Amino acid sequence: METFNNPKPVLHLLLLPCLLLYSSIAFSSSVEAAMHTNNWAVLVCTSRFWFNYRHMANTLSLYRTVKRLGIPDERIILMLADDMACNTRNKYPAQVFNNENHRLNLYGDNVEVDYRGYEVTVENFLRVLTGRHETAVPRSKRLLSDEGSHILLYMTGHGGDEFLKFQDSEELQSHDLADAVKQMKEKHRFKELLIMVDTCQAATLFNQLQSPGVLAIGSSMKGENSYSHHLDSDVGVSVVDRFTYYTLAFFERLNIYDNASLSSLFSSYNPSWLMSTAYYRKGVYKRSLEEVPVTTFFGSVMETIHTDAAYKALSRRNSGKFEAQTSLDQSVHHSERRTPVKVNDRDETHNINPEGQEGASKCPWSTFCNKFLKAENVDSLVNYGLVAMVPFLMISMWLVR
Amino acid sequence: MAETREKSHKPKPRVRPIVRLGIFLVSHSFLVSVVCCTSGVLALFLLPVLAKNTYISENALMPGSASPMLSNQHVLDGNRLVKDLTNSNLKSSETGIESHKIIAQYMLDLGAEVSFHKFHPQMNQFHPLHFFSSPDSGKIQENYSCSSYGINTVGVIRAPRGDGKEAIVLVTPYNALKSGFGEALSLGIAYSVFSLLTQVTWLAKDIIWLVADSQFGEYAAVSAWLREYQTPKFSSLSTLNSEMCPDINNLFEIKVHSVAGSKFSNSFRRAGTMAAALVLKVRDQGEQFEDTISIYAEASNGQMPNLDLINVVNYLAVHRQGLRVNVEKLRSLLNSSWLKSLGEIFESLAKVAKTLNPKCKFGIPATEYVEGTATLASSLYYQALGVPTGPHGAFRDYQVDAITLEISPKFSLDKVWRNDILLRGGRLIEGVIRSVNNLLEKFHQSFFLYLLTSPSKFVSVGVYMIAFALLIAPLPMVAASLYVDANSSSNFLKGDSSTPSAVTDAAEHGITIRSWKWLNSAKLVFIVHLWGAIVSLLPYFICQIPDCSPTTSFVIWVLLSILSLLILNSVLASPLACVKASQEKEWALVKSVTISSVFIGLGLMSVINFATAEIGALVMVPMCLLAQPLKLDVRAGTLRSCCRIICNLVLGHIAFPPAAFFLLKGMLDGFGSANVGDFWMWVESLWAWNSATYLFIGMVQLPCWVLCVSILFHSC
Repeated sequence: METFNNPKPVLHLLLLPCLLLYSSIAFSSSVEAAMHTNNWAVLVCTSRFWFNYRHMANTLSLYRTVKRLGIPDERIILMLADDMACNTRNKYPAQVFNNENHRLNLYGDNVEVDYRGYEVTVENFLRVLTGRHETAVPRSKRLLSDEGSHILLYMTGHGGDEFLKFQDSEELQSHDLADAVKQMKEKHRFKELLIMVDTCQAATLFNQLQSPGVLAIGSSMKGENSYSHHLDSDVGVSVVDRFTYYTLAFFERLNIYDNASLSSLFSSYNPSWLMSTAYYRKGVYKRSLEEVPVTTFFGSVMETIHTDAAYKALSRRNSGKFEAQTSLDQSVHHSERRTPVKVNDRDETHNINPEGQEGASKCPWSTFCNKFLKAENVDSLVNYGLVAMVPFLMISMWLVR
Repeated sequence: MAETREKSHKPKPRVRPIVRLGIFLVSHSFLVSVVCCTSGVLALFLLPVLAKNTYISENALMPGSASPMLSNQHVLDGNRLVKDLTNSNLKSSETGIESHKIIAQYMLDLGAEVSFHKFHPQMNQFHPLHFFSSPDSGKIQENYSCSSYGINTVGVIRAPRGDGKEAIVLVTPYNALKSGFGEALSLGIAYSVFSLLTQVTWLAKDIIWLVADSQFGEYAAVSAWLREYQTPKFSSLSTLNSEMCPDINNLFEIKVHSVAGSKFSNSFRRAGTMAAALVLKVRDQGEQFEDTISIYAEASNGQMPNLDLINVVNYLAVHRQGLRVNVEKLRSLLNSSWLKSLGEIFESLAKVAKTLNPKCKFGIPATEYVEGTATLASSLYYQALGVPTGPHGAFRDYQVDAITLEISPKFSLDKVWRNDILLRGGRLIEGVIRSVNNLLEKFHQSFFLYLLTSPSKFVSVGVYMIAFALLIAPLPMVAASLYVDANSSSNFLKGDSSTPSAVTDAAEHGITIRSWKWLNSAKLVFIVHLWGAIVSLLPYFICQIPDCSPTTSFVIWVLLSILSLLILNSVLASPLACVKASQEKEWALVKSVTISSVFIGLGLMSVINFATAEIGALVMVPMCLLAQPLKLDVRAGTLRSCCRIICNLVLGHIAFPPAAFFLLKGMLDGFGSANVGDFWMWVESLWAWNSATYLFIGMVQLPCWVLCVSILFHSC
């Protein structure tokens, strides 16, 4: 290593300002974190047993909705604590309905359940959120979000004052959830997060939440119960909860191009229909709800950025990608894997070095150019160019005359 | 050391508050016992007022959430079976076998697994060691004959997607030799449900339909099948049977050939563990104005099925099928005016309470109170008896929750009515089965210890124990106070007579003697209890005497009992007699020990069978507390002692078990039919059902009565 380093002290000196420049750019972009990159959904049904049919139906209905609105299957983590479709008590084997008219089978061919049965535990749930998995866990079971991700977290089951029951045996408490969200924030795992909970006393689950960029809505306030919407006398169980039913009713009217805002969704919950008070908590969520379309969370609608030049904005993209990759690596890192990651870093810096060197040799003109590029003033660059053209034009005119 | 010495020198050492409270209660034991006993009796009469409405405790049950699927087609199927059965009764002389064949054929046509189970009825024999023991499989009888056997027809539907670990049992008792129309109708209802269940996709538990051959009694058939089901025999008895009785075997052979290729099986068919069992009966003559359904739940030793099962049936019958639900009542109480006035008093008290505090809402109308009390009394009575009220009792021995449903239709013969009963009864059964099918675990959420005051009201163990606890609370206090009194009075006498110089020596000696004096009384009590045990064992030997009428058996029993008492007294208690005469307050010590033993006996019994202990306490506690030598009272001659003499004499008569039995029987059925042999028959039934009540009467109540009578006639 030393032999490698020693012959080129001058080169290092040359390199230093460029690296500083580069890192300052990267830092500024990570603080900004403005770009919305992708949408994720984590849908959790936490209760077992046949008589909790409706919780699975809730979750599957939401799954269908977010899929319809454009979140692909690989970005949906679906956790179902029990398999109602194959329960022996199910009159319609391998089918799940959320309405007594039985028009829509929620358990069709293309349902990908990531965590099922006894895999749905508080531990696994927190692992999914924070991204601390065993090495053997496949990518399809991980929440591979980045700092530009919008995440929808939907949970249903039986809850109480500041807790949510998992599997009839353990419970997720409000500070567990808050802690997980805080970790996610610190690991840049999301840009915006919507937590939607349909349980009894759901609002109490958000009591400890403090992280910025987190919106939360619960089906009922403290001391209130969330009720089921209706009973399917053919299947013999209640098939959907009220809160979820009216959420779905809201989304049934929408398609991917609609611009309905989150506030219109939140105000659509009528306490007399729900028989409970839907409560949302804005916390440190900066944007005004009227301006946020529901598809921010319930669909995958990207913001289109208009650029004049096809490739000019590339450098910025590159930096973003690089950040995403490192954050991804962080989320997976283990002591065994740390060394290869480091090596990768060095490779990358090495790869970048020649470019930097080139840039340094072309100074000062290229740095000037770079500055312009990095200042993202493409238009002004063009303008400056045009202005610079004027003397040339005048000189050439003068010569011709 | 110095400190402790100082403390010991203090004249009055500090007594802990709990001890002081104890001393206070003991010293005021008379007042305490009066207050406690009256409040105990009052609490018992308050129970109907305190009864709570039943509710479905288990979430998984969800009764009535699914709409019934039983259609007219299934009813028609059921009707067809009823017709065939009634016709075959008319036609064939060998009806027993014929009708079983018909039923089996019908089951096979539905695609169910069918097997016959043949059994030999068991004699009701007195096994002294069989109380509390679980029924065993090894009861091999040598004296069966080929002519007397019963055939249970068993059909099993396997749950199409189930794991086969659990089952629900539907039982219809059926006597092929002399079946009434009601039995055929109950088979029709069961068949219509069965035919539906072969088609449905939602079964999670297997369904077993047992047509129990009730020619030897409904209970015998069901318990024989259950014994075979739960404790399989691995002996060669079954092969022995078939070798010795070829005619039974022939029947099976014929059956196999006639339905070759089907699911008929010669071997015993099993499904999983039983989640619940329903026994379905239809009463032959219905005299009510509307269709009612009676629920019988009491199993042996006052065990009850889980309250949820009754709730489910009650909910579905009332709210879905519009049937009236009945539980057993003591009809004689319904018209009693004193109960009605008591109810009115409670009602007005509740009104007063409501004016004082509008939030408190206890209190029920007087008529409802009378009904509640009648139901409660019958609930207590049947639990106390310890004899199951139907074939469901056999299931309880294996910890399976079971009840008997008896439908008594409003009677008419037209076909519309019959279809209606088939439809509603069938839908009720279907609903209950679907609800139990939803269960994930055994019934465990709701109460097992309760008394019903109406089909939809119950008194839980936490409430009814209060009455009993109040009733027996004074016993230890009175025992302690009697003991203290007896000791201190004799102490006083002795201290008075002796000279001061001899005091220390004599006092030390006297203390040692006095402190052990109660052993004499304890010995007496022990002897009497030993005698009680012997008396309760005597029937085992009397049973062996062939050709003995109940009356003579009873007389022999009484004579032997008296004889054994005399022998025991002369052998063991003779040295006691001379000591007894010398002591002044000896009867108080005897009473104290008696009361202690009664307290222990009642406490133990309340764990085994609460109702028995409660009824026993109602009689025995006043008797024990009031017992005092008649001579003393006669000598005193005051009004108070006169009252006590009368009370003692009355209680002394009532508390004697046979007298109590005849009194009760007379009150319920009228005195005309009373017969000495009846008591023997009753006792026989008690031990035949392994009822702990028999042990209680023999080993607690009878000795207590003897001791109290001996106190009454004590010569002091």
